Amino acid sequence: MAKSFSEVLLELAIDDPRICGVSCDCWGFIAPLAQRFPERAVELGIAEQNLIGVSAGLALRGKMPFAIGMNPFVTMRCFEQIRTDLGYGCKNVKVIGGYGSGLMYAGWGCTHHAMEEIGLMRLIPTMIVLMPSDAYETEQAMRAVAKMDCPAYIALAGGALPVGKPESERSFELGKASLLRDGNDVTIFGTGATVGDALKAYDMLAEKNISARVYSMHTIKPIDSETILKSAKETDLIITIEEHTVIGGLGGAVAEVLADAGAGTPLKRLGLQDVFACMVGSHQDIKNRFGITSEAIVDTVSQILK
Amino acid sequence: MDKNCQDLVTELQEKARNIRVLVVKIAGMSDCHTGGSLSMADMLSALYFHTMKVDPENPLWDGRDYFILSKGHTVPALDAALALRGFFPEEVVTTHLELDSIISGHACARETPGIDVSTGSLGHGLSIGVGTALGIRMDKASNRVFVMLGDGELQEGSNWESAMSASHHKLDNLVVIVDRNRYQTGPTEEMMSLEPLADKWKSFGWAVKTIDGHDMGQIVDTLESIPFESGRPSAIIAETIKGKGVSSIVNHHMARFNEESLKEALRELGEEV
Repeated sequence: MAKSFSEVLLELAIDDPRICGVSCDCWGFIAPLAQRFPERAVELGIAEQNLIGVSAGLALRGKMPFAIGMNPFVTMRCFEQIRTDLGYGCKNVKVIGGYGSGLMYAGWGCTHHAMEEIGLMRLIPTMIVLMPSDAYETEQAMRAVAKMDCPAYIALAGGALPVGKPESERSFELGKASLLRDGNDVTIFGTGATVGDALKAYDMLAEKNISARVYSMHTIKPIDSETILKSAKETDLIITIEEHTVIGGLGGAVAEVLADAGAGTPLKRLGLQDVFACMVGSHQDIKNRFGITSEAIVDTVSQILK
Repeated sequence: MDKNCQDLVTELQEKARNIRVLVVKIAGMSDCHTGGSLSMADMLSALYFHTMKVDPENPLWDGRDYFILSKGHTVPALDAALALRGFFPEEVVTTHLELDSIISGHACARETPGIDVSTGSLGHGLSIGVGTALGIRMDKASNRVFVMLGDGELQEGSNWESAMSASHHKLDNLVVIVDRNRYQTGPTEEMMSLEPLADKWKSFGWAVKTIDGHDMGQIVDTLESIPFESGRPSAIIAETIKGKGVSSIVNHHMARFNEESLKEALRELGEEV
């Protein structure tokens, strides 16, 4: 059974004395670490710019900070600090979007929608960008970045997924999309929470005798070009689905790979189509209205693969 | 002041003069942030030739004191100090306009030995200093962290997030020097007033001293008295003159010398031209 973020962080910290936790009003995430190693847990209050700068300083002193804030704010408010102090500054800091990935906090309004988190982090040279889809992938992502000496962003986006396999039979490789369902007609790339929508769409398409292939694109950068191009060859359509603007996110990344390779396979990018998701409603209501659902996948596939 | 102290002050004054000469040579007739480099030259002399533990042979030595130039545009003075301290040969500092030089237009840790943090965008350095000081404390080590801030830079709000956190975490191994030259692209107090500046730092929980940033005796005494209070970070507000030592560029942010004014600047600094 996959462990929670804070349990994994403590385990990693026991093995690696460089690891410390830095919180931007997110103490719960580092509380177990703080209990065991009080001097290695730092609270900074609501101050994202300082969170990243302080983490850069800790890294200058040889530490490996996990810097935790809320997804929309820890990627936008301190973008320049991440870009300049961590990217250009070559600092071994793991930035964690701890809560509020994508449209998770739908009803709290557009201020709380992390609809640019992947795109912004992907822009920065040397950044590793991860959006795991469930607890298993989150644990694996944390263990993977802890072995690397570079800045990384992990959006804690995942929930419980009907993957259909015990964890002992799953595998995770950073930079390699995880195949969750195999098929020949259409490839669906989800990331984070939308992997659940992709898995549901798989079942719905099967009822229509359409065979879908579903990947969790847990690593957005480096993007898995090989799998994207293989899918472009072996299936007739590629769908990306994300709780993110389609500009610069998963859909953008996949489009770049296809275009660079001259692959002519049709691509449909489901996500926010250059709009703010400005409405009152639940997470599901917003997904419904903006077409980020299993039904939207099925409709899109049905229209194109008639 | 006893004779040893007087000798030290004289020696550090001469190093400061050497830094200023190199800054003017770096500037040459190019666009250069000369004024803000000259205003902090005396402090850099005291830091690099008296106060800070550094090893030019091993710039990444674990036991070093850290210096973070948050006002990264005034890197010519830091390059000059590092060269004079032996981190790289003096003649290298004037290669900053050459392809692939190790001397950059803003502080660049990737290229220049002895520079710990790449800066240029204002309002980043103090947070990094706070983190470094916290890391040192985690190591139970005694290194200190010095952060040089511009006064105009303090208009960036990020500084005050950092200042708040430094006192909250009781970082008495952290020292801020504000190069209070009172000019940014124009007069700071007219553009966005900072006064009462010492009170601002005090109210953020710092122990504060205001000094004449060109009085070497005061600079040395002040640096020897850090931390000013146990359990508090120390802030030195150094009243300085932008362009100090070269009268033609006083209070200029980015003055450009011509052939004649360049010679005059060097003569004014005691060089034979």
